[in-house]
Amino acid sequence: MNIDINFQRDWHDQFLKRIDDDGPWANWELYNLALEAERHLSIPEFLGLQAPKHLPQLTFLPHQLEVAKTVIEKMNGKAILADEVGLGKTIEAGLIIKEYMIRGLAQKVLILVPASLVLQWTTELNQKFFIPAVAQKKSYVWEQCDIVVSSIDTAKRQPHRDIVLNQDYDIIVIDEAHKLKNKATKNYEFVQHLKKKFCLLLTATPVQNKVDEIFNLVSLLKPGHLGNQENFDKDFRNDKYSLKNEEKLKDLVNKVMIRNRREETGLNWPKRYVQSIPITLSESERLLYDKITELKKLPYLNRSKFSVITLQREVCSSREAAFLTIKNMLEKSEGNAFPDQILVSIMKLIENVTQNSKAQKALELIQSIDDKVIIFTEYRATQLFLQWFLQQHGISSVPFRGGFKRSKKDYMTHLFKNHAQVLIATEAGGEGINLQFCQHIINYDLPWNPMRIEQRIGRIHRIGQQGDVHIYNFATKDTIEEHILNLLYNKINLFESVIGELDEILTKFELRNIENYISDILINSESEGEIRVKMDNLASLINYEGGIKQKGWEEHAAARDSSFS
Amino acid sequence: MQQQEIHRFLERFFVSNECEILEKTADSLKVQLTIELDKLLMNRPFYWHYLEKTGAEPNPMTLTLYTGQGQPADSSGEFIHFGSPRLHQIFSSTKKLASFIRMYESVPHSGINIALNPWLCINVKISYQCDRKKDMIHSYGIHLINGIIEENFHEKLQTIRLSKRIPDYCYTLSPLIKPVSGLKRLENMIIEKIHEDDHSWAEDARMRWAEDEELLNRFYEDIEEKPEYYYGEKEALQTQYEPKITVSIINGGLFYLANSQKG
Repeated sequence: MNIDINFQRDWHDQFLKRIDDDGPWANWELYNLALEAERHLSIPEFLGLQAPKHLPQLTFLPHQLEVAKTVIEKMNGKAILADEVGLGKTIEAGLIIKEYMIRGLAQKVLILVPASLVLQWTTELNQKFFIPAVAQKKSYVWEQCDIVVSSIDTAKRQPHRDIVLNQDYDIIVIDEAHKLKNKATKNYEFVQHLKKKFCLLLTATPVQNKVDEIFNLVSLLKPGHLGNQENFDKDFRNDKYSLKNEEKLKDLVNKVMIRNRREETGLNWPKRYVQSIPITLSESERLLYDKITELKKLPYLNRSKFSVITLQREVCSSREAAFLTIKNMLEKSEGNAFPDQILVSIMKLIENVTQNSKAQKALELIQSIDDKVIIFTEYRATQLFLQWFLQQHGISSVPFRGGFKRSKKDYMTHLFKNHAQVLIATEAGGEGINLQFCQHIINYDLPWNPMRIEQRIGRIHRIGQQGDVHIYNFATKDTIEEHILNLLYNKINLFESVIGELDEILTKFELRNIENYISDILINSESEGEIRVKMDNLASLINYEGGIKQKGWEEHAAARDSSFS
Repeated sequence: MQQQEIHRFLERFFVSNECEILEKTADSLKVQLTIELDKLLMNRPFYWHYLEKTGAEPNPMTLTLYTGQGQPADSSGEFIHFGSPRLHQIFSSTKKLASFIRMYESVPHSGINIALNPWLCINVKISYQCDRKKDMIHSYGIHLINGIIEENFHEKLQTIRLSKRIPDYCYTLSPLIKPVSGLKRLENMIIEKIHEDDHSWAEDARMRWAEDEELLNRFYEDIEEKPEYYYGEKEALQTQYEPKITVSIINGGLFYLANSQKG
């Protein structure tokens, strides 16, 4: 077999020169050490992983090692990593990069991630993996640094674009790769032009079920793996949304994609304890809620009905939240859903509310838990109120919002971990915020999109969580909140379902806009009874079609426990 | 590499570089660096530049390294493990400091003059690379008079007492084969050995390459004018899969040994 052999001769000349010059010569011990060092660094086998012994301070989970091995040995270094949230895709990517670097197969690496994650990736690669990654800040970095982390938006813009496209990369890593599903976008086109030997696409959103997305993503990774557009359509497309020969396609996709699920990882996940906490509105709160509900009967447009639902939800959260909305409506004077006098009368009712029954309940609960608690609410006004309210009772809390800069998020997390009992958050805080040192979550009000609840819980129910996780769902009795809780909790078993399942089900049945379904039901129903019937239908649709397993979380946990012992 | 092995390696490294060991426990080491090692390891070119300009008293640093769990919380020492950048820096410094050598067998003095035979030894790393990689390390010595080549030469050297200077009552035989020819002979022999090896790894890599290229061609088969990135992708497949073999010399040198059979 004809293989190119490169015999490096730079040693020769220097050696001959030393013979002429009669030295200098090394000492024997160092000479031996140099050879020993090289023996330690040499790669004994084509297969297997070297990286773990270079990273003794990291404990890899079995599935993470398996992913790295599979990507390198079976997928030839081109793969879609699609593990469920929380299983450590970043770790897997770091491990693969490290392995290629140790083997001398990669030097130049480009890591494209959302702008908010650039620093986190850089720190993690440096601190955990000793990979000298640099966050792209100046344009010379592209050429001068070997391992660069950047946002795709920066990289694709001039003057960077031309420089980046000119580099020969050994590895390209793209986080949140599901955003590249549309081939008509600038991002897609940009990534298509990158020169890459090895490539990792990271996504938590499974793509199996969308015809075009799967084709585009795989074609970016490995053009031709699914054929070209024409024969792909012929082989696999049924119509715009659905597929044929699904099994065959799945086999093909699985050659380039790895997806681990929590329940398959064999890990002992902490248990989830979910508890509904019913709350009775006080007389003044009830009066306010009912008055707002009555607005629905006014003969106005659908738009105003939507406003009614918004107000109902807000009142269930705090009078402050509702107050803000009404104040805005009054100030806007024109084009309002409701006449001013009605708004003013509601304002009066708001002023009459003397207590917040939910906050009272939250306070009792926090005091009895006597440990770290995260409260999630949908409303900024409620967040502010709660902070004040808890402070009145001697409980320290820190706020948390999606809009915070990364550094502020980290600082707030630090404050919460070390100095405060409660964190009050308006959203899950995005990827990468890990609050697994906390075991209690209060869902002060419930979002209507089940994925957002999953993200909330995912912040603490993840690898690294030492204890069991407690989730308290607040719902005011005889309000829309009760309907939502009934739907999400009692009917579709959301809280017990295995993470990730829901995502797939919603994707599969185009129920991503489940919020719209819910508000549609709430707006267009004439009576409480009608709401209940329609909610039941929605629930059974999801359950029947999607087949969320009716097994409870604990049962999953128990099954795993026994397979472990 | 186990932690004790690392500890042992570090100690030998510093001692053979003439650094004073200030403190030593089973899993820690505090050393006074020499000027040379400070320049090599501590990455402070400005300090040394400044000293040269001002002629001030040089003050090389001390270095504290831990290889066990017993590192005190307030210490400024570094924890060293197999992946730590410091160890890799020391590895590559070792290689830099010990690429070339000349040694003599230290023959016990028996009153008669003894001839020492010239040997040229190289320790080589041979790497097989495609989208995967494997290294092999070999040590060869060639007798510079009769041309005999010995394998595992470095291992054999371990059984011989060696010294930097030629012992009394010893003299060296002049080589008939020049070092540059000796190197050439070793090179030919190594290449021959490589050709005899099993290269199914390269065949497999070429197969993987062909598969991927086939897919790529199918992807663009209906397009008359292939886009630029088609060619980019094709090139990338070549760099990814094309089998290559690299031979590099780790270190080597001249050894004068008493008995030619022994080498």
